[in-house]
Amino acid sequence: MRRVRASGFRWALAALILAGPAAAAEQPADTGDQPSLSQECRVPGAQLYTMAKLSAVRSALSENRPLKILAIGGSAAPGASASYPAKLEAALEQALPKTDVTIDHRGLPGEIASGASERLRTMVAEAEPDLVVWQVGTHDAIARVDADAFASALSEAVAWIRSHGIDVVLVDPIYTASMAADVDYNRIVEAVRTVAGQQQVPLVRRYEALRYLSSRSDKGEGHMLGRQFRLNDLGLRCMAEHVALTIATSLMRTEAEPAPKIAPALTEPQRAPG
Amino acid sequence: MRDPNAIDFWRGFALVTIFINHVPGNTFERYTFSQYGISDAAELFVFLAGWSIGIATRGRDGTPEPAGKSVVRLLARTVEVYRAQLTVMLLALALIAGAALLLDNPLILEWHNAGGFFADPIQSVCGMALMTYQLGFFNILPLYVVLIGIAPIFVLVGRLSLIAALALSGAVYLASLVFEWNLPSWPGEGDWFFDPFCWQVLLVLGFVLQGWNLRSDTLRRWSRRLIPAGIVIVILGIVLAVTGLRPDPLMVPEPRLLFTFEKTYLTPARLLHFLGVLLAFAPLYALLAPRIGGVGRYLSQLGRNSLAVFSMGSILSLIGQLVRFQTGGGVLVDMLVAGSGLVGLGFTAWFVEWRTRNKSSRPRP
Repeated sequence: MRRVRASGFRWALAALILAGPAAAAEQPADTGDQPSLSQECRVPGAQLYTMAKLSAVRSALSENRPLKILAIGGSAAPGASASYPAKLEAALEQALPKTDVTIDHRGLPGEIASGASERLRTMVAEAEPDLVVWQVGTHDAIARVDADAFASALSEAVAWIRSHGIDVVLVDPIYTASMAADVDYNRIVEAVRTVAGQQQVPLVRRYEALRYLSSRSDKGEGHMLGRQFRLNDLGLRCMAEHVALTIATSLMRTEAEPAPKIAPALTEPQRAPG
Repeated sequence: MRDPNAIDFWRGFALVTIFINHVPGNTFERYTFSQYGISDAAELFVFLAGWSIGIATRGRDGTPEPAGKSVVRLLARTVEVYRAQLTVMLLALALIAGAALLLDNPLILEWHNAGGFFADPIQSVCGMALMTYQLGFFNILPLYVVLIGIAPIFVLVGRLSLIAALALSGAVYLASLVFEWNLPSWPGEGDWFFDPFCWQVLLVLGFVLQGWNLRSDTLRRWSRRLIPAGIVIVILGIVLAVTGLRPDPLMVPEPRLLFTFEKTYLTPARLLHFLGVLLAFAPLYALLAPRIGGVGRYLSQLGRNSLAVFSMGSILSLIGQLVRFQTGGGVLVDMLVAGSGLVGLGFTAWFVEWRTRNKSSRPRP
């Protein structure tokens, strides 16, 4: 069984490498689009994510367990309430073949700096996931929470999740033109990045990615509510792809420096999965 | 109109606290008692609702009104609260959507989980009518609808025996903690923010204690004796809140909910803390009332019209949040938001009472 598991993971790796040369690089390339992203969502890697190891996800994969993900925050894309989690599941199962991904999607209203981090603990305890994908910062930004207070509360929450052997991927708030010059808002976005760096968790740089997408010439569909709303829709549509790519890329990095106790399984001969 | 009294006073106090706490991040938040304990104003509000059911369904001498009358009375109240919930939800969604359009800022659509509604109005509007779709901060009224809806069961059992009513309620509470029973959210995953199966225990406790309080002096004597215990619990709560000490939900033994501090399930620690607060602060009204004059009358007036004031408070706090967001906050803005909010709450209470007084025989315009 163990060999099969290991080879399953290798297949996933092979698929990833084939799917995206840029994704395999240790540092994302500054130029060039991600081939594995759909046309409308393409963003250069450097503007899309920062990587870090995902040991819990890695061990779930190598033990051939279903991958349990708790996706927190944000609404679904227009059309159906299930679409962000469903798309994320599909995108991950495509990036990690032979892996069964289950996603629990929860809203988390309230500020991390006050009550919401308690509620987060409850959710994590209830779901007991391998990975938490957390869209964070929007509510604190709206409530004008002090960026330092936000950063320390977020840092504490992320450290708590990781202390229980659960991986975290952070997703920072959206980019929208009316907030671009807002100092407090940018400080919150900055704080998410700082915490991701300090806690060594992968970050989906949604703000940067959307800013990049907004700067591209945007002919094509309009939006009856105006340009910012069209961009917002696009951001929601692309988020699942962006998160999946960040996870897959971070897994590559985890794979590149395997933990010693798992290493032997990877040296065994590759078998056809089945 | 009733004269100012302890129940209305504390209800008004809870309403003001909830209003301030629902403008998160504002300067005055740190001066509310919610920041200094494990339980908060929500517990006080639900407990007093139970106590009020006792007052409404029993005469001054403790003799209950006819059972049918109590059932219809509670049914009418349930309809009233449900109607308030629908109105408040619609206005809140319109405020959020309107602000997003006016400020050309789609970020605002994400406010309090409203994004789900705009992303999927077809399912969400059904969820709104079913109360399984709730906005953040707009989740107390759905709890209230369910609690008053099931209250007739406890009121009727209470006619036979108050201890039986309390035992039934306590059994449901414990079972919900052990088996994590809750009502589901829909659309979207998850459960209700306020678990009615757990929170009902506080409503029934209020109802039962009001009955005992009428019947004999024993309750009053014991609550006086237990004041020191209440004070110890309050101090312990302050220490825990200030230091941020709390059990780790992934480390406690099973059943988990018996040990954690979760608001959703009104866990035992919160319940115990609330009882401590009750013991320590209940005698305070008699001391305060003669000294605070206008403040006491203001809070009692809010408390007498709690549904209207709560509903208006939800809307005003959302407007306050939007104002803080757009202006960037700051002490001056916070003073403006809190000040106009408190005036707005007072006006709401006055308006409701004025309207009731003038409802009489004149034809409506």
